[in-house]
Amino acid sequence: MSQQPIIEMRDITVRYGSAVAIDGVSFDLRAGEIHALLGENGAGKSTLTKSMAGVVHPAEGQILLDGQPIAPGSPKEALHLGIAMVFQETSLVPTMTVGQNLFLGQEKMFNRLRGVNIAAQQFLQSLNFDVNPTATVDMLGAAKRQMVEIARAVLHKVRVIVFDEPTATLTPEEKQHFFALVKDLKKRGVSVVFISHALEEALAIADRITVLRDAKHVLTKPAQELDREAIVKAMIGRDLSNTFYGHKRGDEDSVRHEGKRVLSVQNLRMAGIVQNTSFSIFAGQVTGVFGLVGAGRTETFKIVSGALKRNWLHGGEIELNGHKVRYRTPAPAIRDGIAYVTEDRKVEGFFETMSPARNIHVGQLAKEPFWKMWVSRKAERILGQKWSEALNIKAVSRDVKVIELSGGNQQKVVIAKSLVQEPELIIFDEPTRGVDVGAIAEIHQLINRLADEGNAVVVISSYLPEVLALSDRILVARQGKVVEEFTAREADEKKIMYAAIH
Amino acid sequence: MPKIEFSQQLIVAVVFVLLFGGLSLFLPGFFHLENMIALLQSVAILGILGLGMAVIVIGRGVDLSMIAALAIPSALTLQLATSGVSPVLAVAAGFALAAAFGAVNGWLIAYAEVPPLFATLASGLFLAGMGQAWFFSIESVPLPDALEGLRVLGRGQTAGLPNSVLLLLIMSVLVWIYLRKLKLGAFTYAMGDNPRGARMAGLPVRPMVVLQYMMSAMIAAFAGLIMASSVGSMSTRIFNSTWIYDVILVVVLGGIGLSGGRGGVTNVLIGTALIGTLLNGLTIMDVSFPVQNLVKGFVLLAAIVIDSIANPRNEETAQQGDI
Repeated sequence: MSQQPIIEMRDITVRYGSAVAIDGVSFDLRAGEIHALLGENGAGKSTLTKSMAGVVHPAEGQILLDGQPIAPGSPKEALHLGIAMVFQETSLVPTMTVGQNLFLGQEKMFNRLRGVNIAAQQFLQSLNFDVNPTATVDMLGAAKRQMVEIARAVLHKVRVIVFDEPTATLTPEEKQHFFALVKDLKKRGVSVVFISHALEEALAIADRITVLRDAKHVLTKPAQELDREAIVKAMIGRDLSNTFYGHKRGDEDSVRHEGKRVLSVQNLRMAGIVQNTSFSIFAGQVTGVFGLVGAGRTETFKIVSGALKRNWLHGGEIELNGHKVRYRTPAPAIRDGIAYVTEDRKVEGFFETMSPARNIHVGQLAKEPFWKMWVSRKAERILGQKWSEALNIKAVSRDVKVIELSGGNQQKVVIAKSLVQEPELIIFDEPTRGVDVGAIAEIHQLINRLADEGNAVVVISSYLPEVLALSDRILVARQGKVVEEFTAREADEKKIMYAAIH
Repeated sequence: MPKIEFSQQLIVAVVFVLLFGGLSLFLPGFFHLENMIALLQSVAILGILGLGMAVIVIGRGVDLSMIAALAIPSALTLQLATSGVSPVLAVAAGFALAAAFGAVNGWLIAYAEVPPLFATLASGLFLAGMGQAWFFSIESVPLPDALEGLRVLGRGQTAGLPNSVLLLLIMSVLVWIYLRKLKLGAFTYAMGDNPRGARMAGLPVRPMVVLQYMMSAMIAAFAGLIMASSVGSMSTRIFNSTWIYDVILVVVLGGIGLSGGRGGVTNVLIGTALIGTLLNGLTIMDVSFPVQNLVKGFVLLAAIVIDSIANPRNEETAQQGDI
């Protein structure tokens, strides 16, 4: 690894409208290094790398490549300069084969599929990637898609690859494989920028670490000089001893005991995804549901809340407070007191053109009896105020649109929209995904409070420390089925992981 | 992006003032009382149709069958009245047909999950064909004497204002109440903004779609009655005209984003004023029909391009097949 920077960014400022996404940040990347970029959501990590890759254009500042100023106008230009970015959402064409995707944009005038496949096969083998070049991309899992993206970048002989949250959708084994790939890239002299939320990963794999906070640069240091606490402190600007993740609730006093049985699921099935699962949920405690991606947790609880339908025949039974229920849409489930807080708030959660108050109000209107037709803007304002105070939703003004809020505040709006419907069974699906550290603590407090008030609370999470920190009782799902149940006292990371994988 | 929405409204308003002023100054016969009344009347029906279309577009749909819903139910009313059915019953039958037709549209879109573009294109053809083939022996159904009372709608004046314009204003207020004061309106905006989110929040999404298409069909039938009363007949041939594009033009030009969830009654009125003036000016200038279409096509394209820049589609919630 040479000390000579391959890319140097000086005093970069990026504005989106009036909002400053990056404020005078300098960043450098050396040849053949792995450089982790850390920070809370909205700290400007993605924006910084996007300006390097030509996706956004900085208002001020300079980008130097080998000492020469560059201004990539588009991702394509950046690719020509040797800078590739692998986004959170992959940029592959799902209906095309792996081979076609690899050579996309480089095809000869008369393109022979056979030739493409042979070339792709040879190339993938030279990288030691186990991907079938004739498979269409939409049939591949997240890990293999990433391999194809990496292969494409290598094929373009890039010198810099930016990974934006590459490990978020990978299973532990796939993560190990991914890290091996990144180390291999490094050996080839490629520089890697690695944006992540997972501090441990960054510490394990990176040569240097840069932390951003509130659009500003905080520190850049070799990874071996940093540890978890130092990074967290840099990320949030204050000490955050044990107020969130990292301590498990095992002591006798803090564990809540189960109340009445609110939900009982028997032999639930949904084609291919939920396979004969059975479990119960009790009032007055938090039930954590852990599992790897693809374990059918989200689907199971979407069936409970009416968003998905189980099999018509042999679909199993769901009892809510002792009554059999089968919902075709979420509306009757909400009337019966089931709230489901989605993991994907942008697609299924909030209404982006509306203010926080209007969002919450729509939730209330949905629950009100049908004959109450008249909408009162005053009631809406009062409602918005009440919930903003209750959940500490911070908005610049009352009329600001939800889409302009931070991830944490958006999540709080979505939660408020469900809580206003007065549920007794509340299902949180990945409640802190894409939420800043400060808001995570607040959302965890809220979840605890809801359980203390006697509600049945379910927390689906892929993040073990979160499950351990919140749950009084832990269900582990694997391949469409709840396979194991632990009390908070007997649970530990090893046992849960073992149940989830084997 | 409130700024851009505002500026789009403002641009259209400014263009309208310039166009109106220019035409008044330089086009003899434009700023005449008779012409103004003709302009307002032609605009009134377009505006009422635009209100119906606005409800649909805000809920992230489109209704290409509005002209069929304008022509056939009102022609049915005239035909029934001609053949001796009591006027009240005839009018009721017309609206019942429109409501049933809207319900079919809504069912196709909400329950059969046909994209609105195709559903309403096909259903409009079906209704027009059904009317022309079964109901009416002649293409143009005259307004019978029994319905003479309806003439008030299209021809009368109240305090110097043509009644049709008055009706546009009344309809505007009603649609405004629906959109801004009723729960249903809030639901329409929510569905247009984020259909999956609306479903997850427990809104009755499918019944709402049916209701919206019923509303647009009945508003169109009402516009049809006004038209019949002002012209003195209802030509079922109107379905073959390019009127539906004028309606879409009004809505998009006024600044109601085709991506749904945005805009309101004001936007329709602004768009109506501009298009009405433009068309009227072109007619007075004796611009040939093909050139008029050229101008309209150009304006519609420009409006849609501006719309897609000002209100970009949300890629994550956009579906294939909707517009």
